[in-house]
Amino acid sequence: MGSLFSVPIYFVIFRETTEAAVIVSVLLSFLSQVITSDEHMRKRLARQVWAGTALGLLISIAVGAAFIVVWNKYGNNLWAGSEGIWVGVFSLVAVVMITVMGMAMLRTTQIQEKWKVKLSKAMDDENQKGLGNASRRYAMFLLPLITVLREGLEAIVFIGGVTFTTESKSIPLAVVVGLISGFIVGYILYRGGNRMNLHRFFTASTCLLLLLAAGLVARAVASFEAYVWGKLTNAQSDDGGTYDPRYNVWALSCCDPKNNDLGGWQLFNALFGWSNIGSIGSVVCYIAYWLIVIVALVYMKLKHRSVARANALRSVHESSNTTSGEKHSLELEDEKIAPVATPTPAAEATHVQGDAIGQDHPVDLKHI
Amino acid sequence: MLASIKSLALLALAATAAQAAVVTYDWNITYVNANPDGLHERRVIGVNGQFPIPTINVTLGDTLVINVINQIDQPTSLHSHGLFQTGNAQFDGPSMVTQCPIPPGANFTYTIPIEQHGTYWIHGHNRGQYVDGLRGPLIIHNTNETYKYDEEYTFALADWYHTEHEIMLEQYLSIFNPSGAEPVPESGLINQRTDTKFNFVPGKTYRLRIINMSALAMFHFYIDGHDMEIIEVDGIDVERKPVTSFYVTAAQRYSVLVKARADASQNFLVHADMDPAMFDVVPPELQLKVQGTIVYSESAPLAPNGVTDEYEPFNDALLVPVVPEATQKPDQIFPLTAAFSVLNDYSNKATFNDITYVMPKVPTLYTALTTGNLSSNPEVYGKYAHPMVVKHNEWVEIIINNDDPGNHPFHLHGHVFQIVGRSTGKYDPASGPYPGYIDSPNPSRRDTVLVPSEENVAIRFKANNPGVWLFHCHIEWHLQAGLATTLIEAPEVMPSVLKIDPTHIEHCKALGIPYRGNAAGNEGLNLDGANIGPDPLPGTFTAKGIVALVFTIISALLGLATVIWYAREDDAHISAQVAQAKNTEEEH
Repeated sequence: MGSLFSVPIYFVIFRETTEAAVIVSVLLSFLSQVITSDEHMRKRLARQVWAGTALGLLISIAVGAAFIVVWNKYGNNLWAGSEGIWVGVFSLVAVVMITVMGMAMLRTTQIQEKWKVKLSKAMDDENQKGLGNASRRYAMFLLPLITVLREGLEAIVFIGGVTFTTESKSIPLAVVVGLISGFIVGYILYRGGNRMNLHRFFTASTCLLLLLAAGLVARAVASFEAYVWGKLTNAQSDDGGTYDPRYNVWALSCCDPKNNDLGGWQLFNALFGWSNIGSIGSVVCYIAYWLIVIVALVYMKLKHRSVARANALRSVHESSNTTSGEKHSLELEDEKIAPVATPTPAAEATHVQGDAIGQDHPVDLKHI
Repeated sequence: MLASIKSLALLALAATAAQAAVVTYDWNITYVNANPDGLHERRVIGVNGQFPIPTINVTLGDTLVINVINQIDQPTSLHSHGLFQTGNAQFDGPSMVTQCPIPPGANFTYTIPIEQHGTYWIHGHNRGQYVDGLRGPLIIHNTNETYKYDEEYTFALADWYHTEHEIMLEQYLSIFNPSGAEPVPESGLINQRTDTKFNFVPGKTYRLRIINMSALAMFHFYIDGHDMEIIEVDGIDVERKPVTSFYVTAAQRYSVLVKARADASQNFLVHADMDPAMFDVVPPELQLKVQGTIVYSESAPLAPNGVTDEYEPFNDALLVPVVPEATQKPDQIFPLTAAFSVLNDYSNKATFNDITYVMPKVPTLYTALTTGNLSSNPEVYGKYAHPMVVKHNEWVEIIINNDDPGNHPFHLHGHVFQIVGRSTGKYDPASGPYPGYIDSPNPSRRDTVLVPSEENVAIRFKANNPGVWLFHCHIEWHLQAGLATTLIEAPEVMPSVLKIDPTHIEHCKALGIPYRGNAAGNEGLNLDGANIGPDPLPGTFTAKGIVALVFTIISALLGLATVIWYAREDDAHISAQVAQAKNTEEEH
């Protein structure tokens, strides 16, 4: 199974497609809300959004495919012989990328809010600066194009990290399924799907992604160790199924993921890093990965809580001191510290969306 | 019955009483420096300060006496390969099987009645000393040879290493050699040289005795411009068999008749090609094609080199012994499966039926002679000597499965055996009777047989020689890796036939080796303290494996739980705090 469908690549594509779909759905919803009277204009602008998105996707996929073709033609044979080390290094690169992306995915439900905030902010600026017409006319085309291109290139970089350790024939199917899943999720979001279920879905996806990354850590370490052992024993080929007995914790005669007849164990290896030969190094590094993830998550969560609490307290304090007419822009320090997603009675006052977007104003989207 | 063995031997002696003589060799085993292939001088084990060691020549009916003085710093012993040693097992030679090794500085006299004739060799049988040079031809002449020839030459083929065997053995058996790659020799030799010459006179008939004294290599033997007829195999005269080439594995011997050419116009090459399939790798500087020269005239030119890589297929089971011996239905059948694997000491070892051979604490022969009625109980010899106990005059069959990618030559001490069957694959006794029997009234006989990779061979012999006889692969590295079993033949008869010379016991005492009792040196069946070998790896989870796996699962679950906790919205928490703050403010 691992040889025809690369799970990491699937998730990269899925995530990037989802975010692109979210952006498109936000824009389209925005258009529906803002341009309530002029149906013709709304349709024209909506078409722009679709066109920009489609072009962005096309270019991303073309660049990605070209990259993969070039890689397979020239890159693959560069390191036969020291294969163990290269596989290991690129696996670790993929681990970092997948972990970062997995954590970022947890913030997907905040993406919508982020975009709405950005749009309103831009409209604020537009009010202040007043720009020309030309950019505005094609703004609805340029925004999705640029956004999707950016997301697409991000995906390519992520995939680059993962592809080093992947067979080329496992890529196409994973890409296609990832695109399809991403579209589906975006469509659900557009239709205003139940936020709670989507949130659970993204949480589950992150769980799976991190499991994958942990498994990759174990595989990377095993790959390094196999390389070193091969050098110590002057191994002629990299098979042999032998291992360094001094650092071994289990060696099963069954359940070998390299045995092509038993597909199940191959799947276990792709998903969880399972091997019938377990070394101290791979076990320790696997556990260490999870410890790092746990520490990072706890730290981020506590920091996020304290910032959100401070913001909430400050706005409570301010709203009790000022008139209710003023709007407040939230300072977004960085992406990780996003405004609280679900509107609550107290937090409602901090959301800017209602005020700004309600105005019938073309937005200078260049500043978003 | 007991007397009949001795009288048989005496009869054999009496038959040639007229010329029976005591032939004595005084051998000081010494270290010598030598450079036989001209590429590298090194320390070797020689005799009387010489290398190669002297050739032993005796005649049927003689008594061969070798007075050995061990003047190297290691214990040693000598095995006369192929000699039956009927009623004489204590002089067979393998260390810890039939004797304690000879301590450094000590004397040991081998007294061997010669009851057969043909081409044999003598070599060290403690550790791999014969690889370091302690090996040489042992030619037994018959007063009336079966075939007529004018002269004879000996071609002692051997592989040659530049490193001492103990060093190579340590590397071979280390945990860093899990694939069990044998050391590859640096060259091949004929009569311990690379430039041998043999003079041929036109019109004469020559008997060439070919011996392979290698640790590992197998040779293909052929002569440019001359026909060969095989007339002897491992000491058994056979009906003439014309061949263009034949293979000789380690420890095998052949005699061929070659008629010299009619004129002396050319000289010809003799070829002994080492088979690359025996070597893990073939380094480019290794000369596989070893050559000697047949010289008709010093000034004659050399005939074109007929070296080839294609050899005529050769099946030694088709050779027909001149003295017929019919086979009989076996009383006992021992199926043995030879294999190599990494055992639980993490080194690559050889096993017969998953048991690797480990030397017992007491020489097995002494155990058989000092345990009374228990000597017929295999337990008394220890599991890792892999004892096969047979009764006197039983017919014994051994079916050897070679479950390994390599080819192995197997040798039985104290006997020649009939080759009664050959087949491919692995024979499982549970599947029914052996399918590969050759139906022959006079099967081919020899003492060292090649079992090719993934094939099997059935051999048979009559247990008419009370004693303890080692059965093992004659690739020296594999013997050290444990590819051996011990045949305990007629232990019930041994005490009346065999007497151990007190000097042998003195040598055991000098080395601190027990010489009475079972494999552990104890009385009865108490085997506490016996030498225990490594066993196959369990291939399942051990305690530390389970602990490690459990911890990985726990860490993954904790991680996933943290992810879920992280992703939960904090609104309730924060709104509570905000509400609290509001309340606090409103109070002011």
